[in-house]
Amino acid sequence: MSEKKVLIFNQEKCTGCRSCMMGCSLYHDGVCGKVASRVAVIRNEVVGESFVVGCDLCSDAPCAAVCPTGACSIDPKAGIAKINAAKCIGCKECAMACPFGVINMSVKTGKAFKCDLCEGRSEGPVCADWCPTGAITYTTPTIAFKAKRREKLNDRLQAAKAGEEV
Amino acid sequence: MNGWSGKRLRVDLSTGKSISEPLSYEYRRKWIGGRGMNSEVIYSEVPTTLDAFDPEARVCFGVGPISGTAAPASGRVTISCKSPLTGGFGDSNMGGHWGAEVKYAGWDQIIVQGKAKHPVYLWIDDENVEIRDARHLWGKFPREADTMIKQELGDEDIHIVVIGPAGENLVRYACTFNDVYRAAGRCGQGAVIGSKNLKAIAVRGSGSVGIARPKEFFDVCNRLRQGFKDDPMRKFLYEVGSLSLINVANHDGWLGIKNFQQGSHPDAHLMSGEEHATTVLKHREGCFACPICCGRFTEIKEGEHAGEYGGGPEYEHSVPTGPRVGIFEPNAIWHNMILTNNYGLDGIECGGSIATAMEWYEKGLITTKDTGGLELEWGNADVVAKLIGMIAMREGFGDILADGASRAAERLGLGDEGQKYTIATRGMCLPGDDPRGLGFAYGVGFAIGTRGGCDHLRCLASLELSGFMYPGLNTKILGDERPVKPTTTVGKGYCCFYEENQKAMVDCLNVCCFTTHWSYAVLTADQVEYFNAATGMDITEEEFMEVGERVVNIERAYWGRMLSGLREDTIPERFMKEPMPQGTPDQTNVGATFPVQKILPGYYKYRDYDLETGFPSERRLKMLGLDYVAKDLAPLRAKYNSEAEKKKKKYYY
Repeated sequence: MSEKKVLIFNQEKCTGCRSCMMGCSLYHDGVCGKVASRVAVIRNEVVGESFVVGCDLCSDAPCAAVCPTGACSIDPKAGIAKINAAKCIGCKECAMACPFGVINMSVKTGKAFKCDLCEGRSEGPVCADWCPTGAITYTTPTIAFKAKRREKLNDRLQAAKAGEEV
Repeated sequence: MNGWSGKRLRVDLSTGKSISEPLSYEYRRKWIGGRGMNSEVIYSEVPTTLDAFDPEARVCFGVGPISGTAAPASGRVTISCKSPLTGGFGDSNMGGHWGAEVKYAGWDQIIVQGKAKHPVYLWIDDENVEIRDARHLWGKFPREADTMIKQELGDEDIHIVVIGPAGENLVRYACTFNDVYRAAGRCGQGAVIGSKNLKAIAVRGSGSVGIARPKEFFDVCNRLRQGFKDDPMRKFLYEVGSLSLINVANHDGWLGIKNFQQGSHPDAHLMSGEEHATTVLKHREGCFACPICCGRFTEIKEGEHAGEYGGGPEYEHSVPTGPRVGIFEPNAIWHNMILTNNYGLDGIECGGSIATAMEWYEKGLITTKDTGGLELEWGNADVVAKLIGMIAMREGFGDILADGASRAAERLGLGDEGQKYTIATRGMCLPGDDPRGLGFAYGVGFAIGTRGGCDHLRCLASLELSGFMYPGLNTKILGDERPVKPTTTVGKGYCCFYEENQKAMVDCLNVCCFTTHWSYAVLTADQVEYFNAATGMDITEEEFMEVGERVVNIERAYWGRMLSGLREDTIPERFMKEPMPQGTPDQTNVGATFPVQKILPGYYKYRDYDLETGFPSERRLKMLGLDYVAKDLAPLRAKYNSEAEKKKKKYYY
């Protein structure tokens, strides 16, 4: 079985533009709003830092483990946690259990909602597709980690080269 | 409601009351939002005779129907008022995330009027509006005030508009910030806000923007965002920011050096975006929903200013406080940028005023006796940095420059000779681009700009500036490829007319110029498409552009009411008469002048302005549904051409 793709978040590249949040809320809910997004960008304007957080698609997902009604459970086909709104009682346990705080409660229905990797979208998740800087990528872990290693190596080579020039 | 929130907030600081006013379908259709609605309010509610600092003056914060949505770069906000700098119509806009937050809080526009008894700030939490004490925030830099308000309200994720000490001290070109570093610089809204004893407006919104046809809207936005991925302009702007223009400007000779006495300098590359990116760039920043992310964040690493940090730089901000005052040392320029941001000053007017004073000093019009001992020599970074602080605090010679270059010339009694060196139109200094050799349509923008001498974004004639990167585009839009050459007069009248209307619509929707007609990933037709999909209003491209024309005309009519028209449509003498000198060996525009009078008649023709007064014609105003404006202007047409009026010198109002 081929390896499943996941969302990889690279904080260093995040500019805090929130294009991902807009794409997410529009694609899923047909509205545009930060409160309707499954992915979140946290900004600290004074020091100019931005962080993007989204579902890291845990294989042993705390959100599924704490759900008292089974609304949030690992979907065997997709291999990620999903929330069945019909069963959700809005207890917020999953939101509190998520180590990254990326489960939201709907303002309208009071039920939890989370990332589903834009199920059915052939181009993959909107957030990664729309991210202008590559802070969110949709790829397999193996490829992502290989790229990360390569990046580190390149950094080292560059540093060594700069040392020579000096 | 889809697109719009359908209501605006009016806060009277004198009475402490705030009311919500509904915005009718017809009103929204006529003015769209942002700059359009703001301009209408300023025209209707602020008499031209009122002092800009009068408590009854209005400050309007406007956002558009697609603000806070997935449309590219839709988080801007337009702030309009009667400008304390020019005395005429003034507006400015800024990026950041505040505009989107206002929309989520359920407002399309915020109008502030009256004057609080002591410093206050507004806290808008959805529909709940609270006026809170800000005495402890008075005198604080934007970044301190921002942090303190967030702590006080217990929410780090709110967005705040704030002014700096310059606004509190009524420096006539104080600017307004949101998200600490995103500034609405021009026209001095910060001072008007300061005159109302208002320090900040904090906003939190828990709503979302409704979309009429979500699937269609998603598809348009998706298509446009895919287009940005291959856009050549996006790549430049993301990698090196707007400072990517420095090397281009230096090569083409339009970098306004030493108050526009030169256009090119061998050291200019030191402050280029390419250099910046490899030296002091901490990271890149993006305004709301932006597919480009041209924002920078700088941390100075070496020298006496090591450790200082802040948002920016940006081309138009760095040139006036750098090359324009003769400084090329990059760290000194970044230091000036951080200073102006901390104090809350418009970098363009601040640098422009100092540069003008330096030229007066050079020409012997003023001496150290006038300046309080300051030796205003070109490139003296210490003096410039000191003056920036003195201007913001209105101390000594800084107090004079705090009124802007044109008013300073008058306060110093320098007469016409002094005004000759204020590179300004209608009382406002031009940004850092020399129209000689840059672009004829762009240069005309300086003469006809409806907010005075700054029209680097209002009539951003990208068809001639960045058009060469997109072959065939001029033909598509203007039906002719010849106007793509910057220094031709062919088609430039229409080019100005078109771009000005287009940019007015950009500001009505409150999206960013850089994402529309600069990098051409979003054309007018695309804007109409996403506007229609979001609002369900279904207007045609012609109707859409007509709104832009209406907005330009009502702003122009405001100037008309102040008896400003044809004779004031000019640019500083320097650009018309002094041939561009040689600065670097490969400079391309040596010897160039800018024949503004050759292009203006063509522009008036398309605008249908009166050829005797330069006021919008009655015919055109009626066509645009502005009968009441036509009525206001009718008695003034003859008055404008009376002998007494002809003799008056109008450097500002």
